Amino acid sequence: MSEVNANDEIRFIREMIERTKEITAGSWMFFLVWGIVAILGVVGMYVLVYLEMFSLIWLNWIVFVAVGIVYTFVYAAKMERRKEVKSYAHKITTHLSISCGIAFILVGFVFPALSLYTWGLIAVFISLITKILVFVMGGIYNWNLLKWCGVIWWAGALGMVFLHENYRSLLFVPLILIGYIMPALVLRSMYKKQSEKNVT
Amino acid sequence: MSPEKLDGLDPIIHSRIRLAVLSILVSVDEASFNYLKQTIGTTDGNLSVSLSKLEEAGYISIKKTFKGKKPLTTCNISEKGRQAFSEYVKTLEAYIGFKK
Repeated sequence: MSEVNANDEIRFIREMIERTKEITAGSWMFFLVWGIVAILGVVGMYVLVYLEMFSLIWLNWIVFVAVGIVYTFVYAAKMERRKEVKSYAHKITTHLSISCGIAFILVGFVFPALSLYTWGLIAVFISLITKILVFVMGGIYNWNLLKWCGVIWWAGALGMVFLHENYRSLLFVPLILIGYIMPALVLRSMYKKQSEKNVT
Repeated sequence: MSPEKLDGLDPIIHSRIRLAVLSILVSVDEASFNYLKQTIGTTDGNLSVSLSKLEEAGYISIKKTFKGKKPLTTCNISEKGRQAFSEYVKTLEAYIGFKK
């Protein structure tokens, strides 16, 4: 065996291992759904504020988040049935998503209900948790776009601190569009290309 | 890969498809036959032969089940296979290091 061949074999092994880390094709749906749920929640919240129906703001969020959770469970179960491989990368992201999901509920609903802090801080904490979710996922799948989206969420969380608490949630909209829906659309296009490649 | 001097490399792994199968299986819990076929880019026949050789050597285990009405073949790497793969990579790395 020549040195060139040995190097070639090592490169080949790396390439095969990298292929197992390709982001799960259908993941874009989770990003898109949660992005839309969050935007609708923010819009709903400001409409209720405009109508001075403050007591319904919590209900607004509970309804949208519940819809997101139900959809996530149904879609995840469907994907699980279709899955051809159980990769460690997917296992880690599933556990990361569950951890962040529980943290979202605690930070967004439970802790403010226990009066641990005012509602104005929810958006800041949610942005920080989203930053961890997106940035770590970017690291696991070695996808720089997601890592940068994570940085944007972190910058957004910092920026929110300097805004009046009434307007913090408004900053969510551009953050969700850039840091959540944009990668979802890129993933969707990757998924379509992958599907076309598999057909041909 | 040209079958030149093997230099202590495990002959069971020293084939493109079998090396690809083990490289994938060390990184996943389990993978289906279809996933391996698509990821490696090989034919049903070639993959079947390679999987059988790896199974005979005790490097992988193959499970045949049904997903609905369709047959589903899944593979995972054994401890013996993991060790053999690790030795194979170490031999390659040692070879490159020795040359340098």
